Amino acid sequence: MQEEHGSPTDRPCVSRRRFLLTSSGATVTSIVLASQFSKTGFGEELLAQVAAYERKKVASLRDLKVDTPAPIFYPFDATDLNSLAFIVKLGVPASGGVGPNSDIVAFNTLCTHVGGDLSGTDKTYLKEHKILGPCPLHLTTFDLRRHGMVVAGHATQSLPQVVLEADGNDIYATGILGLIYGKHDTAALPVVI
Amino acid sequence: MAKQQYVAKNKVPLPPPDAEVLTTACDYCVVACGYVVYRWPVGKEGGPKADENALGVNYPVPASSGKWISPNMHNVVLVDGKQHHVIVIPDGDSKVVNVGGTHSIRGGCIAQKCYNPNSPTKDRLQFPQIRVGDKLVRTSWEDAIEIMAEVSKHVLENYGENAWAQKQYSYQFFENTYALTKLAFRHIETVAFAFHDNPSNAEDTPGWRDMGFDNFAAAYEDYSLADTLFISGTDPYETKTVLFQSWMLKGVEERGTKMIMVGPRKTTGFAYAESKGGLHLDLIPGTDTVLHMAIIRVILENGWEDKEWIEKFTASKWEQDSGFGRGIRDTGWQWRTTWGKLQGNDFGQYREWLLSQKEAELDEASRITGVAKEKIIKAAELVAKPRADGTRPKTTLCMEKGNYWSNNYLNTASLGMLAVCCGSGNRPGQMVSRLGGHQRGGVKGGLYNIAKSPEKYPGRRRKPLDLDRWVEGGHVRYAYVVGCTWTTAMTGSQALASTLEKLTRGNPHQLTGTDKEAAIETFKKRVDSGGMMLVHQDIYLRDPIGSVIADIVLPAAAWGEDDFARANGERRLRLYSKFYDPPGEAKPDWEIVAMFGKAMGFDGFDWKESNDVFEEAARFTRGSRKDYLPLVWLAKNKGVKSHELLRAYGTHGIQGPIRYQDGELIGTKRLHDPTVKLPDTGPQGPTIHSKIMSAFNTQSGKINIQKSPWDIFSDFFEWQSPKEADGELWVTNGRVNEIWQTGFDDLERRPYIIDRWPANFLEIHPDDAKARGIESGDELRVFSDRVPVQVSGWQGVRGAGKLDGDFSFTTLLKEGHIKLEKASVSAVAIVTPAVKLGVSFMFNLHTKDPANSLAPRVPDPLSDNYRYKLGVGKIEKVGESPYKKSFEQMSFGRRDLVWEGDDDNAKA
Repeated sequence: MQEEHGSPTDRPCVSRRRFLLTSSGATVTSIVLASQFSKTGFGEELLAQVAAYERKKVASLRDLKVDTPAPIFYPFDATDLNSLAFIVKLGVPASGGVGPNSDIVAFNTLCTHVGGDLSGTDKTYLKEHKILGPCPLHLTTFDLRRHGMVVAGHATQSLPQVVLEADGNDIYATGILGLIYGKHDTAALPVVI
Repeated sequence: MAKQQYVAKNKVPLPPPDAEVLTTACDYCVVACGYVVYRWPVGKEGGPKADENALGVNYPVPASSGKWISPNMHNVVLVDGKQHHVIVIPDGDSKVVNVGGTHSIRGGCIAQKCYNPNSPTKDRLQFPQIRVGDKLVRTSWEDAIEIMAEVSKHVLENYGENAWAQKQYSYQFFENTYALTKLAFRHIETVAFAFHDNPSNAEDTPGWRDMGFDNFAAAYEDYSLADTLFISGTDPYETKTVLFQSWMLKGVEERGTKMIMVGPRKTTGFAYAESKGGLHLDLIPGTDTVLHMAIIRVILENGWEDKEWIEKFTASKWEQDSGFGRGIRDTGWQWRTTWGKLQGNDFGQYREWLLSQKEAELDEASRITGVAKEKIIKAAELVAKPRADGTRPKTTLCMEKGNYWSNNYLNTASLGMLAVCCGSGNRPGQMVSRLGGHQRGGVKGGLYNIAKSPEKYPGRRRKPLDLDRWVEGGHVRYAYVVGCTWTTAMTGSQALASTLEKLTRGNPHQLTGTDKEAAIETFKKRVDSGGMMLVHQDIYLRDPIGSVIADIVLPAAAWGEDDFARANGERRLRLYSKFYDPPGEAKPDWEIVAMFGKAMGFDGFDWKESNDVFEEAARFTRGSRKDYLPLVWLAKNKGVKSHELLRAYGTHGIQGPIRYQDGELIGTKRLHDPTVKLPDTGPQGPTIHSKIMSAFNTQSGKINIQKSPWDIFSDFFEWQSPKEADGELWVTNGRVNEIWQTGFDDLERRPYIIDRWPANFLEIHPDDAKARGIESGDELRVFSDRVPVQVSGWQGVRGAGKLDGDFSFTTLLKEGHIKLEKASVSAVAIVTPAVKLGVSFMFNLHTKDPANSLAPRVPDPLSDNYRYKLGVGKIEKVGESPYKKSFEQMSFGRRDLVWEGDDDNAKA
């Protein structure tokens, strides 16, 4: 099924990705990914179904300024609007944060309530609070220090967090936690109609 | 160390095109959003193309599609013993309630409520259990029911009907509430009865009911048609979420509705109201009456009241005293027998009275309420000041428990009078309504025989029995508790729990085995020695009512496990479809009641299915806001089950009262509407054209004018208010968006919500926190050694003519009817300026740390409602919580963040 969705089968991480996707069938599976994600900012036990993809460079440490979010696309490229995410250096440590201060995090920008667009980070990134929101549709807010947890509002899951790795000056995205709004499968590319 | 519980999922199965489709509504808050259930056997899945899935759409779907399935909307259940996938998704095609399929965090997760042995719901109660020693052990339905019946007969014979108590939810579907009340009122004939949130069979909002306003008169559309919304004692964003999302936001966006939010704590809805030109009236808990009176005074002094409407729709003195040969002396109003202290006579006399009240003057009102004078004036302008062209703002006034559970009678009466000044109550966008808590699932299957109550108002009228005080006095020998925690949900919770424990576990007569005959004898000995037997019927083992106190625990089947019917906050009736098997031997409450009724030898409990109960109950709704008798009558004429006819209305449902007209059923959009079109030829079939459809609910059909003298309440208020010198703060309480009621589903069994709220919390103002050395994330002890509990004082015999007789707090205290209890709960600190200085706020119903423990157990003497929101306590830091320095659980983020105009950043 991966091929049908146009997944990048020729990429080095495909075997890991395929393993994960195959494991996450119709019934719920938890996977402890401690070893696979040892370079990420996550704790020893990352209890999550992480959809893992190609290791993709998304930013350079030296380019990131505190409280200045930058757009990235992940897991797919700009042809997939649901992949629009942002990376930000919070200036304070965060869960899943990478970099010397564990303060660099990245999240998808579609509200997990009914898909409101949170990508206008000049407004939605609340630097004093390290919160994303309120969503322009129904005012939901997300805590960027706590895996994108809902602070107040209606979403039934956290904002999908992009799993980051820091390697020297380079920051790579390697996976994503949770289901991106609009999709039935974070790994699925849009249906070509 | 805090450890994350939630497993974030990256995929949901799509229903294949041949999945079965059923409709239901959310089980949680009063709004009752429409939901669709897709069900199909485990082993196959649909695909992302429109023709590959039952929703008929391509994935990914766009924003606001109403077709996105969040991982929390999926579960696996048993249907006839076989594993099935279910997707429980808000109805994206809905044109009513949750238009376009929006939802709250609670409803959006409701699929997780379904019993699934591979999920945290695995501890659902499955079999009847009886307590032997310290343990609950399995027994059979037959034995459990026989023991209950034999002990009940013994209690009724030896101690009378009022020694047999029933405490139940009030809301959990027509079929169940009808069966339970039929048992309690028509067959047992007890008055030792109370719903989950009340100590007695009390009305929620007696002040404005006495005036003639129905509690749920408005249509949801009215909240989008108002120019001004006066919202008291709740943030509907948090607690009536979709009413806010679908209807209030629509008004703000389309017509610039100004929202006036009243409460001591600011959450998202309050902040949003302010950002859109509305107001936050940040009052001190319990002072709403004074605030309302002060706003009314500003209106009257400026002549802004709606004189034309008042002339047409409020009763004159003669009309108040007249009417069908009964007149005012036989209304609930005078039954409260303050004999003239509340009676306003007519608007002119009310005006004179109001202007003579010191509390209504701006300076004094501002001092008592803590609300700035400018805000009071601005509020009066927004609700009532005519525009330059002479037109008036359309104002809808609504409230919830922050209002009526702090000063029950007077707050509701004075808010009703503010509505009168605005000309609100019977027009589109100009309504008066409760917003509601639970859904409206009550049908009474018998009459509460108040003549059997030992309680009296001063004077001659009987008053419903205060069950908690009755228990405290040792008068209850058998208690049947259904679908509620009793202790946690009452004020002075810890004191009540210890009384119940003493009467059950503290009695020497305990079972040593499961033998039925021996059990019956032991329980008889227990009740003969002054103890009590308690049966708890629920879906989970609740602490402490089930885990510690109950002698028998019965497993109930609930939402989704049988076909049920219920109405929402705009009287919309829907069928809640059964879509999966209840766990183990669990049975719906109506069926358990039927088994018990038969064992007691009562007739009329021979129902075979829930539809039988639904049809029998219909005639008990005649003339009420939920009147559905015409639906049952039409179904019988068509030869179909009434449940099936209601099912055909899907998630749209039909609004009560239902009328039959020319072959069709017609719903009622709003109540009290004088323009409602009723046929000239009179009602057809079993239809009743009840007064509430077209007029107010009084003997004259017009509003009774009500006074609200502050001195009825002020002595209690002054005694209860925090003593600054002792370091006390108000510890008020309420609900949080993410948690439904006691949290039996979400707070305890939904990992995502457990991560959000792993412990109870206390919001405290930065200045109050600093004075106590408290930071966000600190572990707190919140305690009091002066929780007043009324333990006696049943008969009001003196003091007729005024309330400064037996039932004033001063007198109760002086004559020894009040004892002072201790209480202590834990909480994690959240320091935020969103809560008023001098006030702190906790989630009210946390099972382990119920904030209600700090609330006074002294009911409003006019109505017997508790003043839940007036908790008071001292707060001290005991250390750091595990959440202070970890990021895996609990957010301390502010809940009052909105954008201010086009500013770069959100306003806090």
